[in-house]
Amino acid sequence: MEERELFQRYRETRDVALRNEIAEKYLYIAAVLARKFSGLGVEYDDLYQVAALALVKGIDRFDPDAGVKFSTFITPTVTGEIKNYFRDRSRLVHLPRRVAELKSKLRQAAETLTLQLGRKPTAKEIADALGVTEEEVLGCMEAGSTISLETPVGDGEGRLADVLGDTSDDFDRFETRDAVRTAIGGLSETERFLIKLRFGEELSQTETARRMNVSQMYVSRLERKVLDKLREEIKKGMV
Amino acid sequence: MTLLKLSIPLGNEILTTVRLATGGVCSLAGLDIDRSEDCKLCITESLLLLLHAGYSAARVEFSREEGLLVRVEGEGMGTGKEGAETEISEALLGALAGSVSFERKDGVLTAVMLTF
Repeated sequence: MEERELFQRYRETRDVALRNEIAEKYLYIAAVLARKFSGLGVEYDDLYQVAALALVKGIDRFDPDAGVKFSTFITPTVTGEIKNYFRDRSRLVHLPRRVAELKSKLRQAAETLTLQLGRKPTAKEIADALGVTEEEVLGCMEAGSTISLETPVGDGEGRLADVLGDTSDDFDRFETRDAVRTAIGGLSETERFLIKLRFGEELSQTETARRMNVSQMYVSRLERKVLDKLREEIKKGMV
Repeated sequence: MTLLKLSIPLGNEILTTVRLATGGVCSLAGLDIDRSEDCKLCITESLLLLLHAGYSAARVEFSREEGLLVRVEGEGMGTGKEGAETEISEALLGALAGSVSFERKDGVLTAVMLTF
Protein backbone atom coordinates (compact mmCIF):
# COMPACT_ATOMS: atom_id res chain seq x y z
CA MET A 1 0.00 0.00 0.00
CA GLU A 2 1.31 3.49 -0.84
CA GLU A 3 2.26 5.87 1.99
CA ARG A 4 -0.60 8.27 1.39
CA GLU A 5 -3.20 5.53 1.19
CA LEU A 6 -1.85 3.87 4.32
CA PHE A 7 -2.11 7.06 6.37
CA GLN A 8 -5.49 7.99 4.94
CA ARG A 9 -6.86 4.60 5.93
CA TYR A 10 -5.41 5.01 9.40
CA ARG A 11 -6.91 8.47 9.80
CA GLU A 12 -10.30 7.10 8.86
CA THR A 13 -10.22 3.95 10.97
CA ARG A 14 -7.72 4.67 13.79
CA ASP A 15 -7.09 0.95 13.65
CA VAL A 16 -4.28 0.08 16.09
CA ALA A 17 -3.14 -2.84 13.96
CA LEU A 18 -2.74 -0.49 11.03
CA ARG A 19 -0.85 2.01 13.20
CA ASN A 20 1.50 -0.80 14.26
CA GLU A 21 2.02 -1.70 10.62
CA ILE A 22 2.92 1.92 9.85
CA ALA A 23 5.21 2.09 12.88
CA GLU A 24 7.05 -1.07 11.77
CA LYS A 25 7.46 0.35 8.29
CA TYR A 26 9.03 3.59 9.53
CA LEU A 27 10.86 2.38 12.62
CA TYR A 28 14.09 2.62 10.65
CA ILE A 29 13.80 6.42 10.88
CA ALA A 30 13.86 6.19 14.68
CA ALA A 31 16.90 3.91 14.43
CA VAL A 32 18.73 6.26 12.06
CA LEU A 33 18.10 9.34 14.16
CA ALA A 34 18.94 7.60 17.45
CA ARG A 35 22.24 6.59 15.90
CA LYS A 36 22.99 10.18 14.85
CA PHE A 37 22.76 11.33 18.47
CA SER A 38 24.44 8.32 20.08
CA GLY A 39 28.06 8.59 21.17
CA LEU A 40 27.28 11.83 22.98
CA GLY A 41 26.97 10.15 26.35
CA VAL A 42 23.58 8.46 26.12
CA GLU A 43 23.15 4.81 25.22
CA TYR A 44 21.78 4.09 21.76
CA ASP A 45 19.02 1.86 23.16
CA ASP A 46 17.64 4.67 25.33
CA LEU A 47 17.66 7.08 22.41
CA TYR A 48 16.01 4.48 20.21
CA GLN A 49 13.17 4.11 22.70
CA VAL A 50 12.64 7.87 22.85
CA ALA A 51 12.73 8.09 19.05
CA ALA A 52 10.35 5.16 18.59
CA LEU A 53 7.83 6.66 20.99
CA ALA A 54 7.99 10.00 19.18
CA LEU A 55 7.48 8.17 15.90
CA VAL A 56 4.30 6.48 17.14
CA LYS A 57 2.95 9.80 18.46
CA GLY A 58 3.80 11.40 15.11
CA ILE A 59 1.82 8.80 13.19
CA ASP A 60 -1.32 10.01 14.97
CA ARG A 61 -0.63 13.62 14.02
CA PHE A 62 0.51 13.17 10.43
CA ASP A 63 -1.82 14.55 7.77
CA PRO A 64 -1.17 12.76 4.44
CA ASP A 65 -2.93 15.59 2.58
CA ALA A 66 -0.54 18.26 3.92
CA GLY A 67 1.81 17.76 0.98
CA VAL A 68 4.91 16.52 2.80
CA LYS A 69 6.30 13.02 3.03
CA PHE A 70 6.06 11.27 6.37
CA SER A 71 9.85 11.05 6.72
CA THR A 72 10.15 14.82 6.22
CA PHE A 73 7.40 15.45 8.74
CA ILE A 74 8.59 13.04 11.40
CA THR A 75 12.33 13.81 11.40
CA PRO A 76 12.05 17.20 13.18
CA THR A 77 9.54 15.72 15.63
CA VAL A 78 11.79 12.82 16.60
CA THR A 79 14.85 15.09 16.67
CA GLY A 80 13.06 17.46 19.04
CA GLU A 81 12.14 14.59 21.38
CA ILE A 82 15.72 13.32 21.42
CA LYS A 83 17.01 16.80 22.22
CA ASN A 84 14.46 17.16 25.01
CA TYR A 85 15.64 13.83 26.35
CA PHE A 86 19.23 15.02 26.40
CA ARG A 87 18.22 18.22 28.12
CA ASP A 88 15.81 16.83 30.67
CA ARG A 89 16.77 13.28 31.48
CA SER A 90 20.52 13.15 31.28
CA ARG A 91 22.25 12.35 34.51
CA LEU A 92 25.84 12.97 35.39
CA VAL A 93 28.05 9.94 36.02
CA HIS A 94 30.85 7.81 34.64
CA LEU A 95 33.37 10.57 34.07
CA PRO A 96 36.82 11.17 35.46
CA ARG A 97 36.29 13.03 38.72
CA ARG A 98 37.76 16.35 37.55
CA VAL A 99 35.72 16.37 34.36
CA ALA A 100 32.59 15.35 36.27
CA GLU A 101 33.12 18.18 38.74
CA LEU A 102 33.72 20.70 36.00
CA LYS A 103 30.72 19.43 34.08
CA SER A 104 28.55 19.86 37.16
CA LYS A 105 29.86 23.40 37.70
CA LEU A 106 29.42 24.11 34.01
CA ARG A 107 25.77 23.14 34.15
CA GLN A 108 25.14 25.26 37.23
CA ALA A 109 26.98 28.21 35.70
CA ALA A 110 24.98 27.83 32.48
CA GLU A 111 21.72 27.97 34.44
CA THR A 112 22.82 30.94 36.55
CA LEU A 113 24.10 32.86 33.54
CA THR A 114 20.94 32.11 31.58
CA LEU A 115 18.93 33.79 34.32
CA GLN A 116 21.36 36.71 34.64
CA LEU A 117 21.72 37.37 30.92
CA GLY A 118 18.19 36.48 29.84
CA ARG A 119 19.64 34.14 27.18
CA LYS A 120 21.82 31.06 26.95
CA PRO A 121 25.50 31.86 27.69
CA THR A 122 28.40 31.27 25.31
CA ALA A 123 31.28 28.95 26.17
CA LYS A 124 33.48 32.00 26.81
CA GLU A 125 31.03 33.49 29.30
CA ILE A 126 30.87 30.16 31.15
CA ALA A 127 34.67 29.91 31.12
CA ASP A 128 34.99 33.44 32.54
CA ALA A 129 32.45 32.71 35.25
CA LEU A 130 34.20 29.50 36.30
CA GLY A 131 37.75 30.83 35.96
CA VAL A 132 38.75 28.11 33.54
CA THR A 133 39.83 28.28 29.90
CA GLU A 134 37.42 28.26 27.03
CA GLU A 135 39.12 25.07 25.78
CA GLU A 136 38.32 23.31 29.04
CA VAL A 137 34.67 24.25 28.73
CA LEU A 138 34.52 23.10 25.11
CA GLY A 139 36.30 19.85 25.93
CA CYS A 140 33.97 19.25 28.83
CA MET A 141 30.93 19.80 26.61
CA GLU A 142 32.27 17.04 24.34
CA ALA A 143 32.76 14.59 27.20
CA GLY A 144 30.04 11.99 27.78
CA SER A 145 27.95 12.83 30.76
CA THR A 146 25.04 10.51 31.03
CA ILE A 147 24.15 7.11 32.31
CA SER A 148 21.87 4.52 30.79
CA LEU A 149 18.82 3.33 32.67
CA GLU A 150 20.16 -0.14 31.86
CA THR A 151 23.31 0.45 33.92
CA PRO A 152 23.73 -2.35 36.50
CA VAL A 153 23.40 -1.28 40.14
CA GLY A 154 24.11 -3.00 43.47
CA ASP A 155 25.75 -6.37 42.84
CA GLY A 156 25.07 -5.98 39.18
CA GLU A 157 21.86 -7.95 39.22
CA GLY A 158 19.49 -5.00 38.91
CA ARG A 159 19.20 -2.04 36.54
CA LEU A 160 19.19 1.65 37.44
CA ALA A 161 15.68 1.88 35.99
CA ASP A 162 14.46 -0.67 38.58
CA VAL A 163 15.51 1.45 41.55
CA LEU A 164 14.33 4.82 40.29
CA GLY A 165 10.93 5.98 41.45
CA ASP A 166 8.05 5.82 39.00
CA THR A 167 6.10 8.92 38.00
CA SER A 168 2.58 9.47 36.88
CA ASP A 169 2.55 10.58 33.26
CA ASP A 170 -1.01 11.87 33.62
CA PHE A 171 -0.09 14.25 36.41
CA ASP A 172 3.02 15.44 34.61
CA ARG A 173 1.00 16.05 31.47
CA PHE A 174 -1.68 18.01 33.37
CA GLU A 175 0.92 20.09 35.18
CA THR A 176 2.85 20.77 31.97
CA ARG A 177 -0.27 21.74 30.02
CA ASP A 178 -1.31 24.16 32.75
CA ALA A 179 2.17 25.70 32.90
CA VAL A 180 2.31 26.02 29.10
CA ARG A 181 -1.10 27.72 28.97
CA THR A 182 -0.02 30.25 31.62
CA ALA A 183 3.31 30.90 29.90
CA ILE A 184 1.70 31.44 26.47
CA GLY A 185 -0.62 34.01 28.06
CA GLY A 186 2.43 36.16 28.77
CA LEU A 187 3.54 36.31 25.12
CA SER A 188 2.93 39.19 22.73
CA GLU A 189 0.36 38.87 19.95
CA THR A 190 3.07 38.25 17.32
CA GLU A 191 4.74 35.62 19.47
CA ARG A 192 1.43 33.84 20.07
CA PHE A 193 0.71 33.90 16.33
CA LEU A 194 4.08 32.30 15.67
CA ILE A 195 3.37 29.56 18.22
CA LYS A 196 -0.05 28.96 16.67
CA LEU A 197 1.41 28.58 13.17
CA ARG A 198 4.47 26.51 14.10
CA PHE A 199 3.06 24.24 16.79
CA GLY A 200 -0.70 24.48 16.31
CA GLU A 201 -0.83 24.20 12.55
CA GLU A 202 2.63 22.58 12.43
CA LEU A 203 3.76 24.71 9.48
CA SER A 204 7.39 24.80 8.38
CA GLN A 205 9.48 27.88 9.22
CA THR A 206 9.35 28.87 5.55
CA GLU A 207 5.56 28.65 5.37
CA THR A 208 5.25 30.45 8.73
CA ALA A 209 7.49 33.23 7.40
CA ARG A 210 5.28 33.54 4.31
CA ARG A 211 2.13 33.82 6.44
CA MET A 212 3.74 36.39 8.73
CA ASN A 213 5.24 38.26 5.80
CA VAL A 214 8.75 38.11 7.26
CA SER A 215 11.98 36.22 6.45
CA GLN A 216 12.60 32.61 7.47
CA MET A 217 15.64 33.81 9.42
CA TYR A 218 13.40 36.14 11.42
CA VAL A 219 11.03 33.27 12.19
CA SER A 220 13.94 31.09 13.27
CA ARG A 221 15.26 33.76 15.64
CA LEU A 222 11.84 34.67 17.02
CA GLU A 223 10.98 31.02 17.55
CA ARG A 224 14.14 30.41 19.52
CA LYS A 225 13.53 33.52 21.61
CA VAL A 226 9.92 32.55 22.28
CA LEU A 227 10.80 28.97 23.16
CA ASP A 228 13.51 30.17 25.55
CA LYS A 229 11.01 32.55 27.11
CA LEU A 230 8.38 29.81 27.45
CA ARG A 231 10.92 27.42 28.89
CA GLU A 232 11.91 29.92 31.56
CA GLU A 233 8.29 30.76 32.39
CA ILE A 234 7.33 27.09 32.57
CA LYS A 235 10.30 26.36 34.78
CA LYS A 236 9.27 29.16 37.13
CA GLY A 237 5.64 28.03 37.08
CA MET A 238 6.51 24.44 37.94
CA VAL A 239 8.93 25.08 40.78
CA MET B 1 33.92 37.90 7.72
CA THR B 2 35.63 34.54 7.39
CA LEU B 3 36.47 33.02 10.75
CA LEU B 4 38.06 29.73 9.76
CA LYS B 5 38.62 27.50 6.71
CA LEU B 6 39.28 23.82 7.12
CA SER B 7 40.38 21.42 4.42
CA ILE B 8 39.97 17.85 5.58
CA PRO B 9 40.06 14.27 4.34
CA LEU B 10 36.63 12.71 4.70
CA GLY B 11 36.51 9.84 7.17
CA ASN B 12 34.81 8.97 10.42
CA GLU B 13 38.05 9.35 12.36
CA ILE B 14 38.27 13.09 11.57
CA LEU B 15 34.77 13.97 12.80
CA THR B 16 35.69 14.46 16.47
CA THR B 17 38.43 16.88 15.45
CA VAL B 18 35.96 18.80 13.32
CA ARG B 19 33.48 18.88 16.21
CA LEU B 20 36.11 20.33 18.55
CA ALA B 21 37.13 22.97 16.00
CA THR B 22 33.47 23.79 15.39
CA GLY B 23 32.91 24.23 19.12
CA GLY B 24 35.70 26.81 19.17
CA VAL B 25 34.31 28.69 16.19
CA CYS B 26 30.81 28.71 17.66
CA SER B 27 32.22 30.19 20.83
CA LEU B 28 34.04 32.82 18.80
CA ALA B 29 30.84 33.66 16.96
CA GLY B 30 28.95 34.02 20.22
CA LEU B 31 26.56 31.11 19.73
CA ASP B 32 25.01 29.78 22.91
CA ILE B 33 25.79 26.24 24.01
CA ASP B 34 22.62 24.67 22.60
CA ARG B 35 23.18 26.24 19.19
CA SER B 36 26.81 25.10 19.32
CA GLU B 37 25.68 21.50 19.77
CA ASP B 38 23.23 21.85 16.86
CA CYS B 39 25.97 23.34 14.71
CA LYS B 40 28.41 20.53 15.48
CA LEU B 41 25.87 17.88 14.61
CA CYS B 42 24.85 19.65 11.39
CA ILE B 43 28.43 19.95 10.19
CA THR B 44 29.26 16.31 10.84
CA GLU B 45 25.99 15.34 9.14
CA SER B 46 26.86 17.47 6.11
CA LEU B 47 30.28 15.84 5.92
CA LEU B 48 28.65 12.42 6.02
CA LEU B 49 26.33 13.45 3.19
CA LEU B 50 29.36 14.41 1.11
CA LEU B 51 31.16 11.21 2.07
CA HIS B 52 28.16 9.16 0.93
CA ALA B 53 28.05 11.22 -2.26
CA GLY B 54 31.50 9.90 -3.11
CA TYR B 55 33.85 12.70 -2.04
CA SER B 56 37.11 11.84 -0.32
CA ALA B 57 37.83 15.35 0.99
CA ALA B 58 35.91 18.47 1.94
CA ARG B 59 36.29 22.14 2.83
CA VAL B 60 34.45 23.69 5.73
CA GLU B 61 34.29 27.48 5.79
CA PHE B 62 32.89 29.39 8.74
CA SER B 63 32.00 33.04 8.38
CA ARG B 64 30.21 35.50 10.56
CA GLU B 65 27.45 37.57 9.01
CA GLU B 66 24.25 38.21 10.91
CA GLY B 67 24.78 34.86 12.61
CA LEU B 68 27.19 32.07 11.76
CA LEU B 69 27.31 30.88 8.14
CA VAL B 70 28.90 27.54 7.34
CA ARG B 71 29.66 26.21 3.90
CA VAL B 72 30.58 22.54 3.69
CA GLU B 73 31.81 21.67 0.21
CA GLY B 74 33.05 18.45 -1.36
CA GLU B 75 36.54 18.50 -2.89
CA GLY B 76 37.19 16.60 -6.09
CA MET B 77 34.49 14.64 -7.84
CA GLY B 78 31.36 13.18 -6.29
CA THR B 79 29.85 10.04 -7.75
CA GLY B 80 26.29 11.29 -7.55
CA LYS B 81 25.24 8.28 -5.51
CA GLU B 82 23.29 9.22 -2.42
CA GLY B 83 22.97 7.12 0.72
CA ALA B 84 19.70 5.50 1.72
CA GLU B 85 19.46 7.94 4.62
CA THR B 86 19.96 11.11 2.59
CA GLU B 87 16.37 12.24 2.93
CA ILE B 88 16.45 11.83 6.72
CA SER B 89 19.80 13.59 6.93
CA GLU B 90 18.45 16.54 4.97
CA ALA B 91 15.36 16.74 7.17
CA LEU B 92 17.59 16.55 10.25
CA LEU B 93 19.64 19.51 8.99
CA GLY B 94 16.39 21.39 8.35
CA ALA B 95 15.30 20.70 11.91
CA LEU B 96 18.53 21.82 13.58
CA ALA B 97 19.92 24.66 11.46
CA GLY B 98 18.41 28.13 11.16
CA SER B 99 18.36 27.54 7.44
CA VAL B 100 19.92 25.01 5.11
CA SER B 101 20.41 24.82 1.37
CA PHE B 102 22.00 22.23 -0.86
CA GLU B 103 24.02 22.94 -3.98
CA ARG B 104 23.94 20.31 -6.70
CA LYS B 105 25.59 20.18 -10.09
CA ASP B 106 24.13 17.77 -12.63
CA GLY B 107 22.22 16.14 -9.79
CA VAL B 108 25.37 15.58 -7.71
CA LEU B 109 25.54 17.19 -4.26
CA THR B 110 28.44 19.64 -4.19
CA ALA B 111 27.92 21.73 -1.04
CA VAL B 112 25.73 22.31 1.99
CA MET B 113 25.12 25.85 3.28
CA LEU B 114 24.02 26.28 6.87
CA THR B 115 23.13 29.26 9.03
CA PHE B 116 22.88 29.45 12.79
